This record gives sequence, structure tokens and C-alpha cells, in this order.
Amino acid sequence: MLKIKNILTLTEKCAPTIRLLSSAVPQPSESTTQIETAQIPSDLQQEVLKHPDYFQVHNLFTVKDLFDARIHYGHKEGSLDPKMLPYIYGSRLGHTIFDLDKTAEYLRRALNVAAHIAYRDGVILFLLRGAQNSHLVERYAKECGEFAHTRFWRGGIFTNSEKQFGAVTRLPDLCIFVNTLNTVLTQHTAVRDAAKMGIATIGIVDSNCNPNLLTYLVPGNDDSPVAVEMYCKLFKEAILRGKAKRKEHLEI
Amino acid sequence: MFLRHLSIKFLSPISRRLSDSAVVLEAKTGTYANAFKKFEDLNKPTSEESEPFVSLLKNSKFIDLGDPEGKVVTGKIFHTVDDDLYIDFGWKFHCVCPRPIKNASNYVRGTKVRLRIKELELSTKFLGFEKDLTLLEADCQLLGLVQERSK
Repeated sequence: MLKIKNILTLTEKCAPTIRLLSSAVPQPSESTTQIETAQIPSDLQQEVLKHPDYFQVHNLFTVKDLFDARIHYGHKEGSLDPKMLPYIYGSRLGHTIFDLDKTAEYLRRALNVAAHIAYRDGVILFLLRGAQNSHLVERYAKECGEFAHTRFWRGGIFTNSEKQFGAVTRLPDLCIFVNTLNTVLTQHTAVRDAAKMGIATIGIVDSNCNPNLLTYLVPGNDDSPVAVEMYCKLFKEAILRGKAKRKEHLEI
Repeated sequence: MFLRHLSIKFLSPISRRLSDSAVVLEAKTGTYANAFKKFEDLNKPTSEESEPFVSLLKNSKFIDLGDPEGKVVTGKIFHTVDDDLYIDFGWKFHCVCPRPIKNASNYVRGTKVRLRIKELELSTKFLGFEKDLTLLEADCQLLGLVQERSK
């Protein structure tokens, strides 16, 4: 009951503000009439939702692009998670190789979801652990006006946000995990927390990851900087397409 | 002989009926059929421009290399920390080599070097763990600069 009350107060607080295509602090609008004009007509929304690939994300990349970005390389067989077997093409002298035809299908689905959430003004959060690529991911998140968290994850940021931040907090609508592992053996805590809070997740899962708790998984290499940059570039482009369409439909 | 005759007798009216229905379907194309035709190819990946993964992999340098152990490859230094050179040679992982004493000042970021691969991933199984522990690194021996050969 308390929760519902909080959500209601949150919606009241958020109502006069509209987040326009950036991670900047939302500016309160002068009157309520302005918000009503800023709504996308529902028939247009339905049309966007019913189209199988409204934002044309299928032409963002080809299998050759993924191949050149080394997305097919997996870990050694010894660290293979049996749950990743359906996405693996085979093993080359002890190293697993992903089937990029399957990866392309999953990646297109994930990009479509990201574009739709951006179109509907969702908050998108990029997550990654590992110092090597963290600046890269942060830069791409900034470029598309969304958020990134690439440092140590304090437990309870999602599950106990009200206490941690001292106020009702808007959680992200989509989490994009550029890798899902904290260390070599443990999974990122935010994967579990997002699942608990019902937040949709997109995750790049390597051959040593567990895909069970992710909403939209993308099997592929998550270690090489080239591969990480490829994912960031694609998600950025998809998000920008969603935002551009939103701008177009809102006639700003 | 008798059996064959029977089967023909039984089959013929069914097949005729099937062909009739097909003709009917072709004659009036409904809106659904039109829409289906229009969106049929939408979800297919654009395989016309790109080769399928199988042939890409088959014709790749990685497969040409065969067993990577002991092979000489070229890499590029992308980072240096004191006397450790971080070298990317096109594999999933980079490798870290100590800076050689000879021509030490030539090994800077962006330099192309020759490497001999010892192992593509430093990972082994340890007692008490179900999975392999990996260092997320390859193991290579630094042979020298690429330019040395061409001079």
C-alpha cells in the first residue's frame, strides 16, 4: 500500500516535467496544456508497436561487421556454461566459437527493444565491469544522452533505492549489460536486482556467463575492446533512431 | 496389382480437391495475403549483402593459422605501463610482454611487433572450482619490431 502511494506521489511530481531526449535535468514546463500537446497520438503509438522493425535496426549491421569485430570468439571449453550451448557453433582447438547467424538475430531483437524504449522516453542504463572498457562505455552512453554505471555496484541501488538516495527514485526502464560478470566467476549483482525489480535487461553473454536472468540476451564476445565498441555503437545508433522518431512524432 | 489400383482410386479425389482449393486461393488475394507478401522478408537478416557466418569463418585467417601454438603473428602495442607492453594481435584477448632491453625506446604505443603465440588464453582449472579460472590474457613471446625484417 505504501509502495502504491509512493508511486502515485512520484507520478504527481513527475507530471509537470518532461524529459526531452537528454540526460539533462528535466525542466519543469510552464503549463499543463503544453504536456497534453507533447503526447504522441495513441494510434501512432500502436502503429509503431505493431510494426516488426519500425526503426529499421536490421540494417545497422551485417554478419561480416560482427565477424570483423571478433564477436564470434568465446572462452576456452573449460569455462563453458552449459546454458550457452545453443548459441555456440563449435569448438576450434579448445576455443568455443559463437554462431554469428544466431547472434545477429538476437542482437537485432535487442536493438529493436532498445529503440522502442528510447522512443517511449525510457531511461536506459549501460552497465559494465572491468576497467579496460569503462571509459568507452561511459562516452557512448553520454553521446546518446543516456546513463552508464561502470564502477563497483553497491548492493541495493535498485532494491533499496528509497533509503539509499533518501527520496523516491525513478529506476531505469532498460539495463544494457555490456558484460554480465563482476569477476571471472561471479555475476553482476545488478542482473539479479534488475530481475527482482522487473526491469527489462539486455545482456551480452560470453561462453562463461549464465543467461538465465536476462530478458534479452545477445550471445557474443564481451572481452575485446573492439567487440565492446561495436555493441556500444549499435545500441547508441538504435537509441538515437528511437529518439529521432520521438522528436519527429512530437513535432519539436 | 489390386492394392495399387485401390490406392490410386482413394487418392485421386483428394488430390483433385487440393488443387481446386489452391486455384481458389490464387484467384482472390485478400488483404492478409498482400500484407504477408509485403512483410515476408522483413525479419530475414540481410544475407544478400553479407556472407553467411560459416563461409566467413572457413575463409578466415584464424582458421588458416591452424594450431596457434608456436605460430608467429604481428600485433600492435595499444598501451604501455612502465615496462609492460600491452599488445593486441587480433584475438579475443591481448597479451602482455616485458619491454626488451635492445631498442627499448622503440616500443611505444602504436608500434607493430612480431609475436610467437604460446597460448591463446591463460586459463586452467583449480581445485575447488567447477569452471576454469582465466586471466583474460593471451601468452606470447615478443620477437621484435615488424620493420626490422623489411630493412
